Amino acid sequence: MKNAKCKVQKSKYQFVFYILHFALLLPPSLRERKRYLVFEVISEREIDKRELLEEIRDSIYSLYGDVGASESRIWLIDYDKKKDVGILRCAHNKVEEVRAALACIHSVNEARIGMRVIKIAGTIKGATRLIEKSV
Amino acid sequence: MPNFFDLNVHAYPETDVPVEDMYRIAKRYGYTGIAITNHDDTEKGKEILPPSISTFVFRGVEIRTKSVSELKRKIKLHYGEVPLLAVHGGSEVINEAALKDSRVDILAHPCGEKGEGELSHVLVRYAAKNGVAIDFNLNAIIHSRRSDRARILWKMRENLKLVRKYKAPAIISSNARFIYDLRAPREMIALASLFGMKKDEAIHALSAIPEGVLEHKWKKKTEVEII
Repeated sequence: MKNAKCKVQKSKYQFVFYILHFALLLPPSLRERKRYLVFEVISEREIDKRELLEEIRDSIYSLYGDVGASESRIWLIDYDKKKDVGILRCAHNKVEEVRAALACIHSVNEARIGMRVIKIAGTIKGATRLIEKSV
Repeated sequence: MPNFFDLNVHAYPETDVPVEDMYRIAKRYGYTGIAITNHDDTEKGKEILPPSISTFVFRGVEIRTKSVSELKRKIKLHYGEVPLLAVHGGSEVINEAALKDSRVDILAHPCGEKGEGELSHVLVRYAAKNGVAIDFNLNAIIHSRRSDRARILWKMRENLKLVRKYKAPAIISSNARFIYDLRAPREMIALASLFGMKKDEAIHALSAIPEGVLEHKWKKKTEVEII
């Protein structure tokens, strides 16, 4: 009996959270459209996620300036050190610009690297599926 | 999908990177062929191409000199010996001498590796007439920052304007010295868009024109006209 009550309460809470979650999120029509770039890195040594993000930001700022960087809205979602692949989010109409900025990266803390975009996906789920398929 | 070529790559005798490594990475990136064009004055030994990759890797030479008379002598020496003859551009005198010679296939980085050289409309007209491909070296964009890069992009934009006007053959190359300098074709297209090259132009400069250069397509035409 006790257990059943607990279950009911839990589901109730879940329902409330569910409602709150959607109330606080931006409505889909107002959300910005994004693209997820699956990229691979070839490098002399293992590259840390933070180092890589700093270098990507640096490259975009030096190529397009502050205004261009703000428009491209990049965000490093994930980077796997072992497999040398990662996912980068950007605005849906700035894919080619971000690609050029990634191609301009030649070293991270004096270790030479080369980057390449493997695939572009519309959702994180799609991007992770692509990674699992390719590796 | 078109066949992509990168006609300016430096490997083993000049750098420490073996040709096989370049081949492996270029193949992975989706190229159909690369050309190893080592500088003739730094060559320590002859590169050995294993027969398994000889259909993918083309042999070439990049002549680097400062005087016109020496350039002419070297062109005479290498012409017919190697399938691809490139000239290390940069100074205006060398650019002019290379573009006037129809035996030359490629004028590599005419605006220099740091954007110091220039091309004029007269020279580009010679390039169109003699079938010398003008190379846009993207390594210069990748490895420079700020004012250097701005100057290089400006020079490339001017060259592109002239190339469009006189319909001279233009190619995009990486001028790679390490495997990390190579870029995949789509990255090259994105980089070419930085100096105003459109997507279809860039694809053409990576696929059809290099293929024509390897087959000496534009040379044959002029020979027929002379006969």
